[in-house]
Amino acid sequence: MTRRDLIHKWFVYTLGLLPVWLLDAYILPRIPLWGITPMLLPLAAAAVAVLEGAYAGTGFGMAVGLLWELAYPGGFGGLVFFLALAGMAMGAVSQYALSQSFPGCLICAAGVLGLLDCLRVARMLLINAASLSELLQVAVPEFLWSLAWTPLIWLLFRTIYSRVGGTKLA
Amino acid sequence: MKDFLRQNGILLLVIALLLSILIGALSFVMGGQADPLSNIVNTVTAPVRGGVAAAADWVEGVYDYIFHYGEMEAELAELRARVRKLEEQVRQGEEAARENEQLRSLLDLTARRRSLSLETAKVTARSTSNWESTLTLSKGSADGIEAGDCVITETGVLVGVVDKTGINWSTVSTIVDTDTEIGGIVTRTYSAGVLEGDFSLMNQGRLKLNYLPEGAQLVSGDEVLTSGRGDMFPSGLPVGQVEGVFTNPSGQTRYAVVVPSVKLDSLIEVFVIKDFEITE
Repeated sequence: MTRRDLIHKWFVYTLGLLPVWLLDAYILPRIPLWGITPMLLPLAAAAVAVLEGAYAGTGFGMAVGLLWELAYPGGFGGLVFFLALAGMAMGAVSQYALSQSFPGCLICAAGVLGLLDCLRVARMLLINAASLSELLQVAVPEFLWSLAWTPLIWLLFRTIYSRVGGTKLA
Repeated sequence: MKDFLRQNGILLLVIALLLSILIGALSFVMGGQADPLSNIVNTVTAPVRGGVAAAADWVEGVYDYIFHYGEMEAELAELRARVRKLEEQVRQGEEAARENEQLRSLLDLTARRRSLSLETAKVTARSTSNWESTLTLSKGSADGIEAGDCVITETGVLVGVVDKTGINWSTVSTIVDTDTEIGGIVTRTYSAGVLEGDFSLMNQGRLKLNYLPEGAQLVSGDEVLTSGRGDMFPSGLPVGQVEGVFTNPSGQTRYAVVVPSVKLDSLIEVFVIKDFEITE
């Protein structure tokens, strides 16, 4: 795969991330379902990691983390490393243990969303912001509502993968 | 393991870790100012945000017109009746103000003065997270907006406090956000307390008026204003109405649940109080 092909491939993946970001940051927060907005960015990281493997998953996870930290309010930096690590783990798990398919993506998405919510709940418990039951009332619907978006995100990145993914441009 | 990591992006992980540390350190050092990286990204994406917000507001307007026309008509009739009532109150108020002025001059008292320096801004984005309540505005440090400035509606109702500013954008922690802490006072009883966001109430769009005095006799519907204690925020900004009074789990203090007067999910334009001077 030439450098040009590589740039073309990741440019198309970035274009794919654009509607996900617009939906996640500006459209879905206006129409929350039972007061809950889904998290779509981790799903994008999961889909690309499952399709492209650990190395590309790390890079794409890092890029998604950067977008999340820099374009959204309240960033503190941790998501860049978290999503890069998650991308690597999801890519490796799908390569060696699961299949590079929708069920694999669903399991990885559930893993990354669950871990994110667990970390948030733990942080809120540490600063004594609310009781565990109150935190779970937000975390559980957020996890489920976000997970429900996996098919759409998978479909988007699967389509991109079928055109330019893997070594298809080589 | 070493080979696995080498093949699978250990270098990228190290870069990600360094970036995380850099962003964390910058946002810690910059305080109320956005860190340079966020500033660049949000400044560049501001037109996109503005465009999407304008399109979404238009779609919402069309949707309301088509599906909520009856409700809008009923609301209009109610508002017309309210305007008539308020006009009558304004007439009475003007009379009272004149009388007040005369009495002040007789007693040689300094006149009350309230001067607010305002900056109008559009709401370009709403909370993207279920764990906080924020708004993104279309103006920032280039227009003199600073962290800690109060944000109000066109009718003077408190919306929140500016949390971070970039060149042409700023983020606001709304009054229901868990970071909020503002002095509040109940107008009927003059009971002072601290208005605080509470996680369990945030998703219901409510907040707490904490640390109420022991003998405070509040009833549902009592109006809550900012007290202006500490001179950080202007006094007398309407916040909301008391919904109920409860005792803290410790059983030692009482708090009131306050329903904000502002509809946070339908705000389009707000005013930032850049400076204020109030003479009581």
